[in-house]
Order: sequence, then C-alpha cells, then structure tokens
Amino acid sequence: MHKFVSDTYIISREERILVTGANGFIGTRVVQTLCEYGFKNLRCFVRPSSRLDRLEVVIDKFSGEAKMERVTGDLLSAEDCRKATEGVRVVYHLAAGFDKSFAGAVMNSVLTTRNLIDAFLELGQPKRFVNISSFAVYSNVQMKRGALLDETAPLEDSFQERCDAYGFGKLKQEELVRQYGSKRKLPFVILRPGAVFGPGKQDLSGRIGIDTFGFFIHLGGTNQLPLTYVDNCAEAIVLAGLKAGVDGETFNVVDEELLTSREFFRAYKRKTGISSLALPYSVTRLLCAGWEKYSKVSHNQLPPVFNRRRCAAEWKGNRYSNQKLKDALGWKPRVSMQEAMTAFLGQFNGKDS
Amino acid sequence: MLRVAIIGCGKIADQHLLAIDRIPDCKVIAACDRELLMADQLAERFGVASCFSDAREMLTTARPDVVHVTTPPQSHFALGKQCLERGSHLYLEKPFTVTADEAEFLIGLATQNGLKITAGHNYQFTPPMLEMRRLTKEGFLGGEPVHLESYWSYDLSDLTYVGPMLGNRQHWVRQLPGQLLHNVISHGIAKLAEFLDEVVEVNAWAEQSSQLRQLGGQEVLDELRVMIRDKKGTTAFFCFSSQLRPGLNLLRVYGPENSLVADILTGSLIRSRNRSFKSYLTYFLPPLLNAQEHLKAACANITNFVRQRLYQDFGMKELIERFYDTIRSGAPPPIRHREIILTARIMDEIFAQIYPNRLQSPETGQVDKSDNKLLSTLR
Repeated sequence: MHKFVSDTYIISREERILVTGANGFIGTRVVQTLCEYGFKNLRCFVRPSSRLDRLEVVIDKFSGEAKMERVTGDLLSAEDCRKATEGVRVVYHLAAGFDKSFAGAVMNSVLTTRNLIDAFLELGQPKRFVNISSFAVYSNVQMKRGALLDETAPLEDSFQERCDAYGFGKLKQEELVRQYGSKRKLPFVILRPGAVFGPGKQDLSGRIGIDTFGFFIHLGGTNQLPLTYVDNCAEAIVLAGLKAGVDGETFNVVDEELLTSREFFRAYKRKTGISSLALPYSVTRLLCAGWEKYSKVSHNQLPPVFNRRRCAAEWKGNRYSNQKLKDALGWKPRVSMQEAMTAFLGQFNGKDS
Repeated sequence: MLRVAIIGCGKIADQHLLAIDRIPDCKVIAACDRELLMADQLAERFGVASCFSDAREMLTTARPDVVHVTTPPQSHFALGKQCLERGSHLYLEKPFTVTADEAEFLIGLATQNGLKITAGHNYQFTPPMLEMRRLTKEGFLGGEPVHLESYWSYDLSDLTYVGPMLGNRQHWVRQLPGQLLHNVISHGIAKLAEFLDEVVEVNAWAEQSSQLRQLGGQEVLDELRVMIRDKKGTTAFFCFSSQLRPGLNLLRVYGPENSLVADILTGSLIRSRNRSFKSYLTYFLPPLLNAQEHLKAACANITNFVRQRLYQDFGMKELIERFYDTIRSGAPPPIRHREIILTARIMDEIFAQIYPNRLQSPETGQVDKSDNKLLSTLR
C-alpha cells in the first residue's frame, strides 16, 4: 500500500469500484493508483475494440492482491451499463469519445454518461460518481491575458462559434451530472484536468501550437501551461472518489512549478529535433479573427476552426491554481515537474537531434 | 417560406442544417430524435425552435412542409411512411430504404398523395457530375454509353466509425442486409443508375480486406466488385474498396465517340475526345491535351473558390435547393424515381449474392422475391 494512503475514505478497500475508459492513457494510471492504495475490488470497463496492452500490464501486476474484473461493452448500451455498475460504490468515469462532430461528442460524452448514471443509481450502491471533464469548458474571452483561471472562471457559452465539439460535449456532460446531483441526489465530483502529459502520449497539447499546415507553428509563446503529469493527475482523480465532504465540488487539476509553453517546447525540440515557426499572440489573434470573418461571410466555405474564442482559450495565456485541490483533497503532486519532464522526454530517446 | 423538420439529429444532421442555411425562403422549425438530448443539442446550436423525441408528435404539432430523415436506414421506411401520410414532402438520407420493395412503396405513396420525395444522393449534384450531365445531354458521348465505371473508397483506419460498429454485433450497420457495404455504396451505385436502363444482369463478388481482418471484422465484408449489364447492352463496373490509395470517388462514362471522367474528390471533369494523330504525335499530344483538361479543372475550381461557389457539401446544398424548388413549382424531382428504385434493386441483388441469407428488412420482414422484378428478370 502506498505511503500517502489514509484511512478516512468514504468506502472500504473491499468495496467495488468501477473505472470506465480503464485502458486509456489516464485510466490505466487510475487503476494502478487504486491498486497501490490497496483497493481490492476493481472493475475495469473497456470498449470491445480497444487495445488493452497497457491495462493488461497493470492487471497482471496486481491480480494477486486485488480482484481485477474486466468488463467489455459500449456505454451507449443501457444493458452494458447495467452489467458494469451492479454492486458498484464509486464510479470513476474517464471514458471519452474524441469524435470531431458535435453530435458524436454529445453521443459519446452525454448519452453514455446518462446511461451510466441511470444504471449506477439503479443497480449500484452510490457513494460517489467522479466525472472527468476538461479545461476545454472554460472561456477566457472576457479575461485579461495572464489572469488567474480557477474553478470560478466563466464557462464557454458558444462552442459552435468556437468550433469545439469536444468542449461542447464535456460541458453538456457536466450539466447532466449536476442535474442528476440536484434531482436524483447523485453524489458527484467533477474534475477538470489541464494538459495531461507523460510517457505513452507523444502528442503536444494544442496550447503549445499546431501542425495543421504540415509544419509545427509554436503559438503558446511565454504562456504558462496548465500541465499535469499523468501520475499526479491520476492520483487527484482517485482522491476525488475517496475523500469525504467534497460532493458537488469541481476541481481543476494542474501540477506545481508549471512551465511556460516556450520552456516545454524548447525541451521537446531539443529531444526530437522538430523544426518550427513561432508566431506572437498578436499575429495569431489577427489571423484567427480574419479566418473567422471569412468563414462567416462565405457561409462556412472555410469551416471556422480558427476563431477568436479558440484563439483566446488556447493561446491567450492564463495563470492556474491547484489550491482548491490541495486544500479539499489533500493532494500534492508526487512527481516533480523536473522528474515528469524527464519521464515524458524519455520516450523520445533515440530521436535526439 | 418552407417549414422544414429534421428527424435524426446525428452527425449528418449538421450538414443538412448548414446546407439549408444557404438556401433562401426556408427555415428549420423542428428537430426530432428518439434521444431528446440529441434533438436539444442540435436545436441549441442552430437555433431551432422546437424539439421532439416522437416523430408522430412532431408531425402533428409542428406540421412541417418538408421532413429530412437522417436516421439509420432501418427506420427510413416507417418514418417516411408517417411523413407522407401526414402530408409532408420527404428527403430520405442514403441508403434510401433497406430494400427496393420499401423504396417502391414509399415512392408510390408519395405519388399517390401528390408529394415530392428524394434520396440523399448528393454526390450527383457536385460540380463535376452536373457538368457531366450537361455534356451528356448535349451529346458529347456520341450516343448511349457503352460502358460505365464507378469507383468508391472508404478509409477504415479512422476507428471512430469502424470501432463501435465492429465492437457491437447489435450496431445498426451490422443489422443491415449488406452490413458495412449497405451503408456506404449507394452513392457509387446511384451514379451508375443514372445512365442505366432496365438491368438484366448483376454479378457481385466480395471479400474481407486484411486490414478489416486485423481489426476483428468477423463476417463484415469491405471489398466489393460488381459487373452489371442493362437490357440495351450497356455494361457497368462498380468497385468499392477500403484498401486502395489514394481514395477514389469517381465515375467514368465511355461513349461510342468520346468519354468523360467525373472525379468528385478533386472536383474535376475530364473530357477524352476520340482523335487520331500521326506517328509519334500519338505519344506527345494526347498527354498534353489531358494536361490541358486538368489545368482547366484546376482553374475552374480556383475561380469557383474565389466566387464562393466551391465549398464542402456543395452537392447536398444543390440537391436540397433543387428539391425545394420542385416542391414550390411542382416540377419533376431532381432525382428520377426510377433511378432511386434501380439503385435499391441493384443493391438488393448485390447483397443477395454476397450475403445469401441476410436479405430482409426489419420493417417489411423477409422480401417476397417473386415481387422483385430485377430478380425475376435474372431468372
């Protein structure tokens, strides 16, 4: 059992926990962290078409100490949700769709969550539903550059204009969970992780830049990045399902000693040798506004993938805080930023320039 | 002002609403989906006034002039019938229905009720196809087509579509008589149907690609080749592939004098004229003339882009606009009814050959093959 584990959790170590998206980048680490905390009755929900190598490693490692059940199914199926939630005390809902369409995002984030909660309320013994959302739900259009973006920041009110299906799905998912909280007494916690990074994920956050046009354009400048190392993020998620007295709360998840986009990208560049072009925010904003304008006057001839709202959300730059997370959940990052960067960049060994 | 409703608020519904937004004198007044959450999300983003989870209630309450049905094909027949019985014109997404008998029934009902009906064969209205139609009517081919070729490909590497379908035997695509092929080939077959007379022979061959096998494709087939012959002797070849690269969405029409190639993906219409050249000029001039055709297509595309006449889903907007025009004017519909039925009959026959035990519709049950004219002809 891990040294940070306390005994004041809302469930015992024998009670059943469900993790959806258990084979994902974060999901696997959540399963691992729960095992390290000594929980002995885990149900891992995965899609039938998923690759399970990462999860299998964790299951093999802990199968002697804990009951590790693997359930395969589709959260769009009410029957599969019932199969998954029977006898469950805590749900960690990490399953996420990355469909680029708005309808797909709603289907994969909202309908699935509705099915899961309905089944959980019917067949589970609900103590906590941990919903994993995203920083994508925030809007900083009305905020100044460099202002503090915490859990009280305004939420996006026009995802259609921002052309952000994923963020729309996540916001609708949050709204649904809150409705179940108020109307059906669902005990829930919402977590909004920032830019999650670590070995196993080589892509750079869109907050650093884009490679849409065949080469990398660095757009993040000296903005602070809302980074969270995957193991630290997983531990915050685990604690959100266990700590008493936080029902109905929302937490941002970011690490400490946050790097700027430039610092992160320079380290990445040194390791990978990628070539890039840097654009200052003023130019990026101008180009995005121009693209948006043309998209409007031409009736979507160019889809509005670049627009002022997205530009602000990704490249305007804010400061971030994890104070609420630390105060309410007693979380602190186990992996320092330096160690996290070493682990992240380690996956590119052999690609050094 | 035409009052439009949409039933089925999934991915394709967005394209319909964006296309309708470009058309004057019409307004989407109702969104309907069995999942009210889906209707709500569409209505919220596009400012649609009312949402429903029951089609019958929507038709009675909102009383739309036109309904677009964009649900999975298994529900097209029942929903289409309801719309036509309540006096709404009908735009049915592809595949039009699960079977040709259902298609024929709906078209008959629309005609009987004095309503317009069309299929979502929007690629027929892309600029190269419109140009091909114009040239064909002007006699460019020099007579009836001798041979046609339609190529259609689909990249299965994007798992957002294939993953859920392969992972769930109950997925609606898996429940279709022709499974994956049923959901994707109608555009390619419809392009042939436009130029074919009564079909007397269909020979289909299909198999599973190695890529799909690796993804755990089970009984799903994704490589299809078909030979077709009509009663006038025109032959046609259809190829669907998930393997070939670069991707294709192409129609070749060979006439007795000249030929045409409509490449939908690159927006090009290439004319091939029957010319003979002396000696080595055969090697020099035809490639240059071909290059000239491609250059012309590129210039036309650039001009159309600058004039904002080149955009995604141009074909869908064009089809919908022409359909609405026929509703207003009473003119014949943009896609002839016989083409819709012929497309469905060819598809029925393909699936009967490649999946011999699956030809049935959830709405009409097992098809009575004695009523199937094409199959009767083939026997």
